[in-house]
Amino acid sequence: MEKFDVIVVGAGLAGLAAAYTLAQEGLEVLVLERGDYAGAKNVTGGRLYLNPVRDLLPDLWKKAPLERFIAHEEVSLMAKERSLTIRYSGGELAEEPYQSYSILRAKFDRWMAKQAERKGAMLVTKSRVDEVIMENGNVVGVRAAGDELRADVVIACDGVLSFVAEKAGLRKPGKAHDHAVGFKEIIELDPAVIEDRFNLEGEEGAARLFMGEVTRGKFGGGFLYTNKESISLGVVVGIKDLMEGKPAVNAPQLLDDFKARPEIARLIRGGQTVEYGAHAIPEGGYNAMGKLYGGGILVAGDAAGFSMNIGVTVRGMEYALASGYYAAQAVLQAKEKGDFSAAGLSVYEKLLNDSFVLKDFKTFKHALTALENPRLFTVYPELAGNIMRDLYEVPDGPKKPLFRTVKQYLTLREMWAMAGDMRKVMKI
Amino acid sequence: MSEAMGLKAKLGLNVFKHNETAHIVIKPGMEKDPRLKRAILVCPAGLYSENAAGGVELTIDGCLECGTCRLACGIEVLDWNFPEGGTGVQFRFG
Amino acid sequence: MNIVVAMKQIPDLQQIRIRNRQPLFDDVPLTLGTIDKNALEAAVVLKEADESIKVTVLSAGNEEVEDTIKEALAAGADEAFLILDDALEGADSAAIAAVLAAAIKQMDGVDLILFGEGSGDNYSGQVGSRVAELLNLPQVGYVSSMEIKGGQAVVTRTLEDCDEVMEIALPGIISVMAGLNEPRIPSVTQILKAGKKPKEVLELDEVDVDIKKLAFTETISNLAPESNRKKIVVKSVDELLQGLRSENLIGR
Repeated sequence: MEKFDVIVVGAGLAGLAAAYTLAQEGLEVLVLERGDYAGAKNVTGGRLYLNPVRDLLPDLWKKAPLERFIAHEEVSLMAKERSLTIRYSGGELAEEPYQSYSILRAKFDRWMAKQAERKGAMLVTKSRVDEVIMENGNVVGVRAAGDELRADVVIACDGVLSFVAEKAGLRKPGKAHDHAVGFKEIIELDPAVIEDRFNLEGEEGAARLFMGEVTRGKFGGGFLYTNKESISLGVVVGIKDLMEGKPAVNAPQLLDDFKARPEIARLIRGGQTVEYGAHAIPEGGYNAMGKLYGGGILVAGDAAGFSMNIGVTVRGMEYALASGYYAAQAVLQAKEKGDFSAAGLSVYEKLLNDSFVLKDFKTFKHALTALENPRLFTVYPELAGNIMRDLYEVPDGPKKPLFRTVKQYLTLREMWAMAGDMRKVMKI
Repeated sequence: MSEAMGLKAKLGLNVFKHNETAHIVIKPGMEKDPRLKRAILVCPAGLYSENAAGGVELTIDGCLECGTCRLACGIEVLDWNFPEGGTGVQFRFG
Repeated sequence: MNIVVAMKQIPDLQQIRIRNRQPLFDDVPLTLGTIDKNALEAAVVLKEADESIKVTVLSAGNEEVEDTIKEALAAGADEAFLILDDALEGADSAAIAAVLAAAIKQMDGVDLILFGEGSGDNYSGQVGSRVAELLNLPQVGYVSSMEIKGGQAVVTRTLEDCDEVMEIALPGIISVMAGLNEPRIPSVTQILKAGKKPKEVLELDEVDVDIKKLAFTETISNLAPESNRKKIVVKSVDELLQGLRSENLIGR
């Protein structure tokens, strides 16, 4: 029987950040990954914000295989037959250190796993964890393909469904309401074509979000990120909205329809789809989180529900990296005291409370409720589209005054509803 | 316009390592459970379909292991596990 | 008794993408030949029956083999003997056979050398025979089962219309077929222990071999044959029958 200081389940960003940090401090860390390689099972929409995690893992970023730094932000309100797009290009986006990058996880995670191995972590791939070994209510190890593997602490970084946390009794099976599903295509295009179509210089990249018709008014949106030699194009939609089927449309159809929109079709023309991926995303926020620690166990990344949708930004990977890092710090502190019980490991929650991770989740506690307003995905995109249409229209007869054009859409009833929506959105 | 691509063809672009046993199974007797019908709408790989008898069928080949059906339908109707290590989808881009 | 299993590092074939009719090898994970794994399993099975057997895995290739070979050490080989040189990348069967033969000469008291019938990527199926020739050893191929009895190997060769049972004097070379066994999947503990097993790593100039050129053959392309399908869409069985008749494929 093998005994380690720490067993990390899952070689994603949380697991690798934990392993990297622990191995650097000289602990014996085993990382178990069920894929053929780190990243083989991991999917992202496509963007990593570096600012919050830059200093936690300072040596990592210089050579990291990231795609393009995001220099242009766009958001589109997509109505049935028209769309209104706002493009933001700010000087700060184009200045080093860059705020965010597009990213492909199979490439990045494999590289990061190598860095963790160089620090001394042991990575075993193609290995699924089947059971959590408990003794006196504490986690003491895991079982993988019949092998019993023990450790002072198991860090569950096994993703959104986290069977490890579930088996350790720290969480219940996830609910549809607290999750979205994202699915995307990687579409290969010549870098020069990408730069031309998105008005990019060199390593610059663009990020676009779409809301409204792309999800048929369901909670969610479309996204597009430019990578070095490809585009990540996909849809994120709330699972509850999707399964209730009002209107009934299946997930793959949403993406096909999105791709066929003239706004999108011309951006991906001539591109070759080379992969189709999907993943569930925790979106329940602070209120849906399970326990973050127990005796001999810590939970980090998606496994802990650390992913957040606040409309203009959808973030998860920074929380994964940071929670993995703080899990490692918690283990180090517990080791110093020789106490790996729940009490000894509770410092993890304190570290997270003091960091941007739980501060963000508390700040945006009500974001999900505010954003779940169907009017945001139905009424507003159409309204914006219609107003723009009328403003730009030059009729064959006399044109109405601009103010009256806009005002016809803003009836008292509508204004009242808008004020209500505003009140909700102001809670974000 | 980029030509619309069938879902099967799209899934065919991915690397799938063969697995002897199905890692997601509809629990016996649950084929007609209304909760299971949700899977038809939510599965990004379109692996669930309704058969002539009104029951839901699952074809596991092409599963992206996203977890959505477990979240939508629940563990009362689905026996859900990840495929064994080194099998199932292996993303090249992710 | 010392058994040497020769194994080739190959790209994970499922991971290779084709762009503009050319294979892309960037980031493709490396593994060992599939039939080579059967050969290793056969050796490990023999070892499990007789503790005095030592299994050495032998490989020649680029520097990455040192990492890839852990798979074999995890699956039961006792140690590895590697000739690593980035110059060996792209070397053809003749060159690799010369290197392997020279390496085997440098190893002590080898009794049995196992090969997979063909490599997982090129499947030229030459290396086993070439090594036998260079070392002047007996060789049998297409082996579907084997055992060691009284200092010799008794093997069954599965041929087109019969099973042939043969005895082969040792030292000798046996090339096995894929159906021989089901290679085991190493456990986590075995994988971890693999990293600590002994590896003898030599560079090309440390083996006594004189190769004029590493590759006299080169694979120019490797594509499925183009088919001339007519792509006729039919809407009914009648139309299909009519079409087949007009192509003279039925009802002649």
